[in-house]
Amino acid sequence: MKTIVLGVGNPILQDDGVGIHVANQLKQHVNHPNVTIDEALTGGMNLLDLITGYDKAILIDAVNIRNEKDGEVKRFLLSDFSSAHSDNSHDVSLLEAIELAKTLGEKKIPCDIVIIGIVLKKMPNEFGEKLSPKIAAAVPKAVEMTINEIKNYVNFSS
Amino acid sequence: MKQILIDPITRLEGHGKIAIFLDGKGDVANAYMQIPELRGFERFSQGRRAEDMPQITSRICGVCPVAHHFAATKALDDAFNVEPTSTAKKLRELMYAGYFIYDHTLHFYYLGGPDFVVGPDAPAAKRNILGVIEKVGVEIGKEVIKHRAYGQKITAILGGKATHPVCGLPGGVSKGLNKDEVKEIETMAKSCRDFAQFTLKLFDDIVLKNKKYVDIILSDPYQLSTYNMGLVDKNNKVNFYDGMIRVTDQKAKEYVKFDVKDYYKNIAEHVEEWSYIKFPYLKKIGWKGFVDGKNSGIFRVGPLGRLNAADGMATPLADKEYKRLYETLGGKPVNATLAFHWARLVELLYATERALELIKDPEITSDKIRNPVGEPGEGYGVVEACRGTLIHHYKLDKNGLIDKANLIVATVNNAGAMNMSIRKAAMGLIKGGKVTDGLLNMVEMAFRAYDPCFGCATHSFPGQMPMEVKIYDNNKKLYKTLRKNL
Repeated sequence: MKTIVLGVGNPILQDDGVGIHVANQLKQHVNHPNVTIDEALTGGMNLLDLITGYDKAILIDAVNIRNEKDGEVKRFLLSDFSSAHSDNSHDVSLLEAIELAKTLGEKKIPCDIVIIGIVLKKMPNEFGEKLSPKIAAAVPKAVEMTINEIKNYVNFSS
Repeated sequence: MKQILIDPITRLEGHGKIAIFLDGKGDVANAYMQIPELRGFERFSQGRRAEDMPQITSRICGVCPVAHHFAATKALDDAFNVEPTSTAKKLRELMYAGYFIYDHTLHFYYLGGPDFVVGPDAPAAKRNILGVIEKVGVEIGKEVIKHRAYGQKITAILGGKATHPVCGLPGGVSKGLNKDEVKEIETMAKSCRDFAQFTLKLFDDIVLKNKKYVDIILSDPYQLSTYNMGLVDKNNKVNFYDGMIRVTDQKAKEYVKFDVKDYYKNIAEHVEEWSYIKFPYLKKIGWKGFVDGKNSGIFRVGPLGRLNAADGMATPLADKEYKRLYETLGGKPVNATLAFHWARLVELLYATERALELIKDPEITSDKIRNPVGEPGEGYGVVEACRGTLIHHYKLDKNGLIDKANLIVATVNNAGAMNMSIRKAAMGLIKGGKVTDGLLNMVEMAFRAYDPCFGCATHSFPGQMPMEVKIYDNNKKLYKTLRKNL
């Protein structure tokens, strides 16, 4: 099973970059020829390009979920969202991108797309590379959950 | 309208948040759109190595990384007192053409297209790329995907990475082109040119031959008579990568043409207390509020702004399309906001033709790709991002570290105009307190045409741009809320 793990977010936008922090830590724990760990500063169409060709994709990103507290870590399936990703006006959502690719006959979309979400209620609006204490505290748990997720598909010792 | 104060804590939540204020009769008095502005960039960049700026600034925005990359690289050329080699300039411009190809293709088919190809009255569930495919067919859909990918491939071959390039260095670029790459790019660029022509034909068939659409394009709520701004070459033709900043007036006459070094003499920024965004305007004309016309310093950038600010396109096929646009829409300048979509396609064709010119240039495979840098100082860089004029300005200390950085980004240049476009669209649809169905659609179309880029690079599940319109009565009491994707 070829698996891609992507930390999604902006590394210079404080807590928005939490996914990338998690991905960087994962690199120290996971070393397996069938697992690719990378970062993605992008959404929608570009994100689809990055995961196409893999059997499984794990996306680590900040999520904004009602009734959840900052720093909670949750596992979702992409299908749990009605629309996903690309919170900007110049792209389509990942779900839309996938639906489009399928309509056009793309066969290499991962059959499993899992999201490890770190709850972040308010997007930062100031540049910076550091995470806030609450979000930083969530990183180890997100790392652990992602490792468990990978282990469902690939055997490795961390 | 002093009394309209929006809580600063809430201003950045919800991208594309719009507030409409009614007068005593229930007609629209004013409308405001809040664009989330990321702050603290100057502080963030202070003390960093200047050479890192092309990489850092390309992370400001998930939408226009290539534009920031080259605005930064050009500012560094200037700051390190070095002129890039002729080959380096061509390689940069070629890569830039690739960026325009994928970005403009994405906008037309995925984002703007649904308004026209599917139709402004179509149900919301159909007004997306899937609705477009349903209408034009799967085969064309595949062509869209293919050519967007070609644009990205061209950018990736030259830039190292498709979305966040690593090639720009003061004085040149880090990587040249070999013969195989030249061949590959030429094949892709040719195919893109044919596809751009096809797309213009599609626009013709679906939009221009439909009287109802043309009437909407020319209808009053979608007209705005502002100044126009864009980069031009020495013949006053549109150029995305280099040139002088030209501004034309309401009669399409040149008002001013200046080097980016003089941007602060020509552009000032107005502050409104309800928005973090500063509203750029022409300094010598002045800020007169959110009004258009000769006496107001508000200008427009982006595809239509660029076409209006120039005398034509520098490549033959695009120039023909340029002329046809003005002949069809009643001469220059064209003030129809929705004509941004058409202008974008003329530019798409230009980008493909320009890419072909550059890739056929014998100098493109030269290994003279970088000149040695001089002493660090102050530098200015300007490019046309897909969304409009983008300026970077840095002051370096003697060790080559950033002391000061200022950016004027494309979407912000259009902020004043976008507010007016929204107000005009709202005025046409709200009368006597009655809110007509389709308000969201029409308002969305008004700002969608500009291809604005809101929360630069913010990515957070779940997504899809939320839109919220709040309508307030003349006592500033909330009267109605309309929502989408929230």
